[in-house]
Amino acid sequence: MAGLRGFTFIFLIYKNIQLKYKQTLFGFVWSLLQPTLYLLIFVAIFSRAFQAIPNYPLYVLSGLLFFVYFSEGTNRLCTVFLKNTHMIKSLAIPKSTYAITEQGAEFVNFLLGLIPFIFIMFFMGLKISFNLLYVIPILLLFTVFIYASGIILGSLNVFFRDIAILWSTLNPALFYLSPIAFSSDIVPPNLRFLVYMNPLFHFLQIFRDVLYFGRAPSLHYTLICLAITVIFFSLAMVIFKATKNSFISNL
Amino acid sequence: MDYAIKLQDVSVSYLQSRSGVSSVKDFLLKASFVKPFRKHEVLHHINLEIAKGDSIAFLGPNGCGKSTLLRTISGIIVPDKGLVDVRVPISPLLSLGAGVEVELTGYDNIRIALVLSGYYHRKTRHEMIAKIAEFAELTTEQLKKPAKMFSTGMLARLTFSCAMINQPELLMIDEVLAVGDWGFQKKCEKRIHEIIDNGATLLFVSHNPKEARQLCKRGVCIIEGEIIFDGDIDEAANIYNNLFKTN
Repeated sequence: MAGLRGFTFIFLIYKNIQLKYKQTLFGFVWSLLQPTLYLLIFVAIFSRAFQAIPNYPLYVLSGLLFFVYFSEGTNRLCTVFLKNTHMIKSLAIPKSTYAITEQGAEFVNFLLGLIPFIFIMFFMGLKISFNLLYVIPILLLFTVFIYASGIILGSLNVFFRDIAILWSTLNPALFYLSPIAFSSDIVPPNLRFLVYMNPLFHFLQIFRDVLYFGRAPSLHYTLICLAITVIFFSLAMVIFKATKNSFISNL
Repeated sequence: MDYAIKLQDVSVSYLQSRSGVSSVKDFLLKASFVKPFRKHEVLHHINLEIAKGDSIAFLGPNGCGKSTLLRTISGIIVPDKGLVDVRVPISPLLSLGAGVEVELTGYDNIRIALVLSGYYHRKTRHEMIAKIAEFAELTTEQLKKPAKMFSTGMLARLTFSCAMINQPELLMIDEVLAVGDWGFQKKCEKRIHEIIDNGATLLFVSHNPKEARQLCKRGVCIIEGEIIFDGDIDEAANIYNNLFKTN
């Protein structure tokens, strides 16, 4: 097996980005459209209902962006092995390459999309401080979490093709279960466990600490996120390792 | 003797779903929780030694395990049992159009193929692209178009040329010769002979014994995952032909 160098990864990430917007009318602008549209709807319709939340637009945006990243990322990783069937069958490169470069492309795309939104956030009242730098490690952790979730879905989807359908159906449910447009305080205490069971809730907490409150992320939630990522990543590696050699006979 | 590839008691099996379960729905409805998958052995105890400079044709009916064998040698499939020792770098041509992104241009696709086979330097890649384009007889204008606008033959020329342009130490070809027009087929044949004459090892899967005879000296017949004959190509071709006479 030819040793893969960093260059190969960067090249393949570039290829994936190229592919993502081939044959689309607005190219990159599409990836900004979805969060913008949601933001407008939430601000126009829900801001009255949630008057208790100060600076509601910033509150929504600081959650929404990361949910969209999660949902795009997992959905793409879900089908990544199917999409690369031909390559997997005829090239002896590690199968994780396909997933890593797909996630890499998604990450670059997210960063590019973040630039205009960061400006919008400043406009909405985001305070400039060194605390903002916390976003970088949190985002990296979140990316690993997305990668792990995606690998689990993607590996299973090779064997059960409706995982992808199931996942895209569950996505909106997860969206409404996550405190993006609302604050988790409004959930009745006896149902709160539902909120806590959602891994995204904990990530949103620390993203908001930084981007909404302008403070350092709370240690409590940071540790939970770290634990979630470690668990998901280990689980992903176990599932991937157990199934990867059988991909070929099911693709 | 110095060997290039050695397979010792190699068995390969696939994980196959029972009763065609391929969705969560089936999984629940057909109540196959107990053991949704079973192992299906495709290659049984293969022993094979290939010397440097050998040219071997693998013959056998569809589904006998020829492609699986090549994939095992190239490291795409990991065997359950046995030892695979490959001492030369491999240049596999297992399926045409593998890795071709139809939305990207011909040039983009050549670049992808080159990077995946380890050409990292921009300058060498630049020279290689020109050579590939020349061998494939595709014009700049054609190569600037997205690959989906290529005809099957043009696509075959492109991928074939990418694999053939350098002097590989080990070339694997899996039933892909019958592509392109007559002229291009002749050209490929000539190039393969050149590669062999320069000391490369050839592993060739074909359903055309005549073609196999022209390219290879040694023939290996495989039936249902077992090697039933390993020796002279003419004899192997006869065995292969007789397989279909009786039925």
